[in-house]
Amino acid sequence: MPMLDEKVMSEVKKVLAAMREPVTLRLYTQELECAYCKDTHTLLDELVEANPLLKLEVINFDEVKEDAAKEGIDKLPAIVVVGERDYGIRFYGIPAGYEFSSLLNAILMVSTKIVKLTDETKEFLAKLDKPVHLQVYVTPTCPYCPPSVILAHQLAMASKMVRADMVEASEFPHLVQKYSVQGVPRTVINEKWFVEGAAPEAMVIAKIKEALLDA
Amino acid sequence: MLDFNVLIPETAEPDKLWDLIILGGGPAGLTAGIYAARYKLETLLLEKSIVSGGQLTATQWIENYPGFREPVLGKKLAADMEAQAKHFGLKVISENVQSVNLVDEIKVIETDYAKYQAKTVIIATGSSPRRLGLSDEQKYAGNGVSYCSTCDAPFFKDKVVAVVGGGNTAFEEALFIAKYASQLYLIHRREEFTADRIFQDKVFAEPNIKIITNSVVTGLNFDLLVGRSLNLQNTISKESSELEVDGIFIFIGNLPNTSLFTQQVELDEGYVVTNRKYETNQRGVWAIGDVQKGVLRQVATAVGDGAGAAHQVNKYLVENH
Ligand SMILES: Cc1cc2nc3c(=O)[nH]c(=O)nc-3n(C[C@H](O)[C@H](O)[C@H](O)COP(=O)(O)OP(=O)(O)OC[C@H]3O[C@@H](n4cnc5c(N)ncnc54)[C@H](O)[C@@H]3O)c2cc1C
Repeated sequence: MPMLDEKVMSEVKKVLAAMREPVTLRLYTQELECAYCKDTHTLLDELVEANPLLKLEVINFDEVKEDAAKEGIDKLPAIVVVGERDYGIRFYGIPAGYEFSSLLNAILMVSTKIVKLTDETKEFLAKLDKPVHLQVYVTPTCPYCPPSVILAHQLAMASKMVRADMVEASEFPHLVQKYSVQGVPRTVINEKWFVEGAAPEAMVIAKIKEALLDA
Repeated sequence: MLDFNVLIPETAEPDKLWDLIILGGGPAGLTAGIYAARYKLETLLLEKSIVSGGQLTATQWIENYPGFREPVLGKKLAADMEAQAKHFGLKVISENVQSVNLVDEIKVIETDYAKYQAKTVIIATGSSPRRLGLSDEQKYAGNGVSYCSTCDAPFFKDKVVAVVGGGNTAFEEALFIAKYASQLYLIHRREEFTADRIFQDKVFAEPNIKIITNSVVTGLNFDLLVGRSLNLQNTISKESSELEVDGIFIFIGNLPNTSLFTQQVELDEGYVVTNRKYETNQRGVWAIGDVQKGVLRQVATAVGDGAGAAHQVNKYLVENH
């Protein structure tokens, strides 16, 4: 039985019909010690069938460890959504449940280059000269999580200084421990600052500013 | 079993004059949208979350919504309502409403990204969880303090948690959280519960739920990740005690999402004052669902309101425009 049933697949085809430029999903996997690598691979195999502009590139993590580290890939499964370039948009763990929508949004955004950010935010990003790493911790059943993930990915798309990860909390217990995540969404800014809940754009930007000042 | 949700935010032309703008995409707003779209009103629904359904998405099972003999998943009911509304032509945009002008003939709704105009408005912004009001509550939200069991219960697998509240929501959510937690304390400030008897019977039968009545939480000792506890006070004996827990879920009722409307429509204790036709004191503005003063706050009543208000709006537009 396919992972994406007929009904979901037809919805996916409909939304991906809005794609303009080609998008590559770069999937990092490994055979052992990765609970969701296989499922994620199957999911993306099926997903790329939805539109000819969508390609899947599967990379065996063990063979490229050092190069992957340079791109910040440090856990598996990892999906990098690449368009004209790598914008720093990443998914760690399987994008299931509500996060499947975050993945579709990332694909559409990279493909159409349309971001929906306020002028204030765009201005802030244009002047940004320090790296910002956003990690949004989620669970697939959390309805409030996709907006936080989509916002983080938009910031990455709009600025070369920003890298933004979705992290599926249940697959990475050591990180959940490290950043004391006990509720989602929880956005971690530069490993040290936190935003709780589905905060609006202006609040996230304010927190990023605070983090950069403090650094 | 993995499932996959397909939700893509749409956009709408800002220059159009809409017949109706619905604020909020919970069950009330979505139902108003289904009816309005079928009346062929040019209708826009603004929902701040990417996921419609409001509080429906914050709970696992709905047992008392007619038509489902087996409990229905809240998020499934929400997704189906939205799909049905879109099928009839409702435009759903995920934008947060920032300010409104409902006083003039043409209503103006401003979001983070655009300004929209309409002949009529339905307020369906629902409600949000009430906080306990402890000084550290905000600090530990998402880090030991939670208001959403479907979001956060999995973080408390084999842990000890407290649930605060004595109503339907507290009881229903306690049953869900107890599937994860090793031990659950249900803390209520009174002796009697307002939850339906059917929920009470289930909770009392659950071996890992212990009931603590006549008690209020007075403090959170959540500084460290291990060895956390709550300070409790007995409301009768006034005695204080400490209860070791890993986290706390709070279900003590709701507050209406009406801060946008303070200078716009008549409010009473924050709730919008409506009559039996869902009219507010402002011409061309209706309010439905949880935001209203003095109503039962349930899914079944919210959808009834949605249908009724859309009918009123249609009548008003036919007569006035
Ligand atoms: C945990 C829990 C369990 C429950 N269980 C049951 C049950 O078993 N049976 C039952 O019948 N009822 C249950 N309820 C109650 C039921 O969910 C509510 O009564 C119902 O959802 C109210 O619908 P509504 O449309 O009025 O508001 P809501 O569901 O609150 O929806 C309001 C919507 O408006 C949006 N919104 C708010 N402000 C803005 C803004 N500024 N801009 C844009 N959008 C905005 C919100 O994001 C939200 O989606 C439960 C509630 C909770 C919290």
